[in-house]
Amino acid sequence: METILNDCVQNSLRHFLYHNAIFMCERLCAEFPSETNSQLLAACYLQGNQAYSAYHILKGTQQAQSRYLFAISCFQMNLLSEAETALCPASEPSSEVPNGAAGHYLLGLIYRYTDRIRSAVNHFNQALSIDPLFWAAYEELCILGAAEEGTAVFGEAASLYVQKQYSANGLASQSMLASTENKNLVPAKNLNLHDPSPRQVKSMHGTTLKDNSANYHGTTLSGGASSNFVNGGFANMSFCSTPSPMAAQISAVAPPPIYRNMQGNGPNPSLLGADGSPRSTINSTMPAPRRKFVDEGKLRKISGKLFDSGPRRSTRLAGELGPSTGSNATSVTGNGTSHSSRYLGGSKLSSVSFRSVTFRKGQARTSENFDEGVQHESYDDSHQSMTSTTTSSLACDTKSLEEGILMATGGAIMSESQAITGASELVTLLAILGEGYRLSCMYSCQDALDVYLKLPHKHYNTGWVLSQVGKAHFELVEYLEADRAFSQARLISPYSLEEMDIYSTVLYHLKEDMKLSYLAQELVSTDRLAPQSWVAMGNCYSLQKDHETALKNFQRAVQLNPRFAYAHTLCGHEYVALEDFENGIKSYQSALRIDERHYNAWYGLGMIYLRQEKFEFAEHHFRKAFIINSRSSVIMSYLGTALHTLKRSVEGLVMMEKAILADRKNPLPMYQKANILASMENFDGALEVLEELKDYAPRESSVYALMGKIYKRCKMHDKAMLHFGLALDLKPSATDVATIKAAIEKLHVPDELDDTL
Amino acid sequence: MATESSEGDEESKIVVGNQQLVVEESLREMAKQAAWSVSSCKPGNGVLSLRDDNLESFWQSDGAQPHLVNIQFQKKVKLQLVVLYVDYKLDESYTPSKIAIRAGDGFHNLKEIKSVELVKPTGWVYISLSGNDPREAFVNTFMLQIAVLSNHLNGRDTHVRQIKVYGPRPNPIPHQPFQFTSREFITYSTVR
Repeated sequence: METILNDCVQNSLRHFLYHNAIFMCERLCAEFPSETNSQLLAACYLQGNQAYSAYHILKGTQQAQSRYLFAISCFQMNLLSEAETALCPASEPSSEVPNGAAGHYLLGLIYRYTDRIRSAVNHFNQALSIDPLFWAAYEELCILGAAEEGTAVFGEAASLYVQKQYSANGLASQSMLASTENKNLVPAKNLNLHDPSPRQVKSMHGTTLKDNSANYHGTTLSGGASSNFVNGGFANMSFCSTPSPMAAQISAVAPPPIYRNMQGNGPNPSLLGADGSPRSTINSTMPAPRRKFVDEGKLRKISGKLFDSGPRRSTRLAGELGPSTGSNATSVTGNGTSHSSRYLGGSKLSSVSFRSVTFRKGQARTSENFDEGVQHESYDDSHQSMTSTTTSSLACDTKSLEEGILMATGGAIMSESQAITGASELVTLLAILGEGYRLSCMYSCQDALDVYLKLPHKHYNTGWVLSQVGKAHFELVEYLEADRAFSQARLISPYSLEEMDIYSTVLYHLKEDMKLSYLAQELVSTDRLAPQSWVAMGNCYSLQKDHETALKNFQRAVQLNPRFAYAHTLCGHEYVALEDFENGIKSYQSALRIDERHYNAWYGLGMIYLRQEKFEFAEHHFRKAFIINSRSSVIMSYLGTALHTLKRSVEGLVMMEKAILADRKNPLPMYQKANILASMENFDGALEVLEELKDYAPRESSVYALMGKIYKRCKMHDKAMLHFGLALDLKPSATDVATIKAAIEKLHVPDELDDTL
Repeated sequence: MATESSEGDEESKIVVGNQQLVVEESLREMAKQAAWSVSSCKPGNGVLSLRDDNLESFWQSDGAQPHLVNIQFQKKVKLQLVVLYVDYKLDESYTPSKIAIRAGDGFHNLKEIKSVELVKPTGWVYISLSGNDPREAFVNTFMLQIAVLSNHLNGRDTHVRQIKVYGPRPNPIPHQPFQFTSREFITYSTVR
């Protein structure tokens, strides 16, 4: 009876029937109370979005897997200290972190959110060393500014490691496969290469950690995550978290019957699905069919195609995961059984073939996890015909390039060579992406863009990469290119919300109120519970100068995800526009508490202090912003201004020169330079700069006004009059009109000293 | 502004008020930074009704003329426009007819800067504080006092439904002598 109930639960989980699963699992636990069964129940709860129930069930349990699940539920309920003690009990400081890489990752996230950056970095590095394909951990490291070069991390060693895993698995699976030779088993692996999660996490904007962790563990995502899940179908895909297979893997001794154990339970394809969190199941089921049935013969045939499959694997997988593509893919699958395999239920193929599910986090290296590459291989094989569909699926693929949520099912029939080529291709792909991501986090955006261009076309044209490209252009203050990249990303993955907050800011800068309001409406209708939608709305109102409503919208975004640093910064900007400096400072500081490397918040604080004439503070904050993002000409020009107000005008001028060099298109540093020169009484220099500026921005009234002012100081009244007149023609603001007119009147009173015009 | 100005530069007759409140974008409401008080009021119709954005509620005075609305700021601010909502059709003899606007540092040194006469107004009445001189586009002051000197039909008390005060927007970029107007400058002027 226990097995029957178990199968029932697994089946329900696979089909995302959580209510059923929870009910049956409760019966299972009542009938056969054991820790593994409680783990299964907890997993059901987590997947059904009831982290609190899982919390109560697992409280006090000691098994590694239970502690891991407990930590996940605590994390989703935001009880970070309990999560930490679960993973890393204070009483046993040297105990191993459960679930290897996944556990380290979760622990890293906890440390990050409790401000222990160094320990966080340490754990992420450990996670990466255990599982070299752990993208999410690498992303976190990039965000914290502590990542090594992508090629180093995703390099030879990683490749070898992966190959080893696969060969080991391959052998194991071969032995496992009872009657499998003809069965095509596709090792499904939920690779959530944390791509989505990284994205999620990385956007510090609060995507839910939970997502990450969820993916990671295959636990359900918490509310926030679920919203992500909902939104980014594809992204979600990536989240397919495999059910704590890791734990299973690790404690190979008593792998809970449920998920992990695919090996043991041959006939349980549903297990695979069940393992993962709902999402993963979704994903897994989708890809699963495809994967599964690769003929052995086909596999061999396909080894030649490994090369092509390389870059497409993940995308394909990711794409396939996409619901839309999924069905296509499966239908196209040569194997034909794909559909049925999807449901695993009946097909004997599936029953035979399923191997354990791999946990997403790459950790699964242990036995069953097949390398994503491997999976891809099989994929490839099975879907030769699907190349076209895969490319289309690529299109759907949002950001999860690496997603490869593959449910590892069945024994892999990967040959060694396949494993090797697959692994190296995957690793090269990850290296490029990782390097690009790292560079953009370091704000060397031009280099990041170059790196992304090295990607194969199929990967480049995916939502994630295009959004990253857009973001890089944004940081370089190239708003038009950013707009282009983002709109392309939206065409490719219209339901993804990642980085859409940045896109809304780009449109704000370009003053495209039509496009911005359209974007905001679309985002809100896609997902009312995503902070990015409300950020876009807020930007819309802010563009209309309705700062109070904008503030309300940004506060909503903050409420939806308190770990979304950018929302806090935008709240700060709105407070400043409303002249409420106290609250502005508070908002900026909360943004910095979440993410110290958020240079916009440092800049915001600098602006407030500049306004309040606390020049020392202003200079300090601008400098901090400059240290983080040393290529932004805007920050450099403000730093120069701050230096000038501190009477360190020479340094200010140096900084201005740097700013001018950094970005020739930015007129502001030149203007500021002229300002500084004028106040240093170097009128000729100032006039020279202003003449140059006149050519660049002929319709800017402040340029003429400043020139008029300088001529007035030099007592060249005619020229002054001329320039004031020109300035007035260009319709400056009311205050300036008054100032300029007053200046004109005073022109003819040569004795009057008028410093302020 | 729906103003028909007569010859005198001290007085202008305002015949009708606007139904819409339309203000230039370059102006913003300053009232939030101020402390508002009134010389007298009937319980239930106090100073809050002047600021609640509700045209149904009004302030009713309860004392001798002139009735005063005092607006005190914590620092000197530039003010350009005062807008009142009054309605002759609803308030008849409670509708103010002569209004004087005074400015200064405090109660002790208020000076009259503007005086208007209303004739059966219904709706928003705009009173600009600018002088004729282009240099005097704004009034730079700590305190503004709106005095209702007399009402229509010689009523004793007065009803005012809403008052708004406008001033120029500050330069979004501090320490700049002038504000930027062209798109290239504005795009590069801030980090968001």
